Amino acid sequence: MSAPAAIRTTTLTKVYGDTRALDGVDLTVPEGSIFGFLGPNGAGKTTMLRLITGLAQPTSGTAEVLGRDVAQAGNLVRAEVGFLPDVPGFYDWMTAEDFLRFAGSLFGLRRNLLDQRVAMLLDLAGLTGVTSRVGGFSRGMKQRLGVAQALVNAPRLLLLDEPTSALDPMGRKDLLEMIASLRGRTTVFFSTHILGDVERVCDAVAILDHGRVVAQAPIAELTAAYGERKVVVEVTDGADELAALLAARPWAASVVRGPNGSIEVTVTDAVAAQHDIPAIVAGQGIGLARLEAGEMGLEEVFVELVGGERR
Amino acid sequence: MSRSSGFTVFARKEAQEIWRTWRRWVLPGILVFFAVTGPPLARYTPQIVQAVAGDQLSGLEIPTPTYLDAYGQWAQNLTQIALFALIIIYGGLVSAERRSGTAVLVLTKPVSRSAFVVVKAVVNAAFVATLLLVGTLLTWGLTAAMFDTAPGAALWSAALVWLVLAIQFVAVMTLLSVLISSAAGAAGAGLGVYVLASIAAIWQPLADYTPAGLASKAVAAAAGQDPAVAWPVVTSLALSVGLVALAATAFRRREL
Repeated sequence: MSAPAAIRTTTLTKVYGDTRALDGVDLTVPEGSIFGFLGPNGAGKTTMLRLITGLAQPTSGTAEVLGRDVAQAGNLVRAEVGFLPDVPGFYDWMTAEDFLRFAGSLFGLRRNLLDQRVAMLLDLAGLTGVTSRVGGFSRGMKQRLGVAQALVNAPRLLLLDEPTSALDPMGRKDLLEMIASLRGRTTVFFSTHILGDVERVCDAVAILDHGRVVAQAPIAELTAAYGERKVVVEVTDGADELAALLAARPWAASVVRGPNGSIEVTVTDAVAAQHDIPAIVAGQGIGLARLEAGEMGLEEVFVELVGGERR
Repeated sequence: MSRSSGFTVFARKEAQEIWRTWRRWVLPGILVFFAVTGPPLARYTPQIVQAVAGDQLSGLEIPTPTYLDAYGQWAQNLTQIALFALIIIYGGLVSAERRSGTAVLVLTKPVSRSAFVVVKAVVNAAFVATLLLVGTLLTWGLTAAMFDTAPGAALWSAALVWLVLAIQFVAVMTLLSVLISSAAGAAGAGLGVYVLASIAAIWQPLADYTPAGLASKAVAAAAGQDPAVAWPVVTSLALSVGLVALAATAFRRREL
């Protein structure tokens, strides 16, 4: 029996005309996790969220949310999900409080609970006492209200599409802290192209490129897996000549100079590199000060996975 | 969360939207204007014509106006200008929420797409019915004041026939605003439906047995005649239900 999943997609595909916006995506988001859905602009992140929320229908494949097929479940699933679209649209004639009350009422919240939750969420969004209509709000205020309305039903699954894109640094920090505070209680699935946000709060990540998931793992596992493919060499002298020699080896994918005269080599065969490098250094008659597996950050993993095909 | 509470909450939102936006003024303004000006215009038409034309129409005998002229004017205004305004106003009934993104926020909560469409049709039909009630009461009262007599049967018969026609066009616009993303495009298509129905009504069997005859029968009822309205009314109500059901089905299949 498989582990409980908040979201599970199976060969999920969406085709618009000649474009495959999603191409056979298999994705599993563990319940209780904070899951980053990374990808460059146009990779298919918003399409994925539209399919998960039932706003669009897949061309083929299935999407299950909280154990139920999205295409069949309807209100049963929606009652347990909070959703913030990339550009949230509000009724311009409402105030922030009006909208939160309206949203909470759609979930059937009772009067007392609704009062408490609206007050708490207005505070969270920094909109307490703001009585002007939403039509006059800035993009950042609308984004904060969007986050608040997504939380009004205390959802089991919170879906956020580029939640920090319109926020100033303080708003972004607050939102990330709020997301982190939900850890273990609510599954948070958020799409973004901002790697720093994912590194700060996510447990696991999937990287989407051209409609395909190119990597999916806990962040530590992902960076460790790619870290094994990077070797850092530091020598006593003659680093330039050594870098040129290393670059000529068949297992060297790239060679760059790091800080303090070090050489960072991305390798295709880590074992071969670890055997060859000491021999090459000895052959040059120079001293080996350091030889170790390097650490790759999420950004480097991301660039490694999707950067080569960027146009 | 019951299905009915989502329906009720969204219906309340729709009613508040009418009250708190431009919708509160446009259609009510048009109907109240015609209701208030119709009876005096009918009453003083001979004097107005005399004042404008002077001696040029000295040989023409203008009949003494009666309360039926005021009723007729109300019915004519309803079947033409008020209906045009309704068609234009409701061109974006559903599509405006798709374009602004509000539909996405509502429909990712426990509200079905069918409820979304049906609520809009029902609440706005009720709004039109309320306006018709107020406008017809005003017309009735002012007609009584102007002509000293105002039997209600002809006026209310005409109003009820027009209400069926108006509900039918709310349903038409609900469907068109699901199918056509542009509010102006849907309004244009709605006016096209109105013109086609008017042309169809020239053929008597269509006028007698289908919704095409409703406009002319409303005017005839206001003139004190007793037109046979059962078939047009029944077929129109059935068509309205069918159009809203079709709109709900089409909206369920649309991508947002």
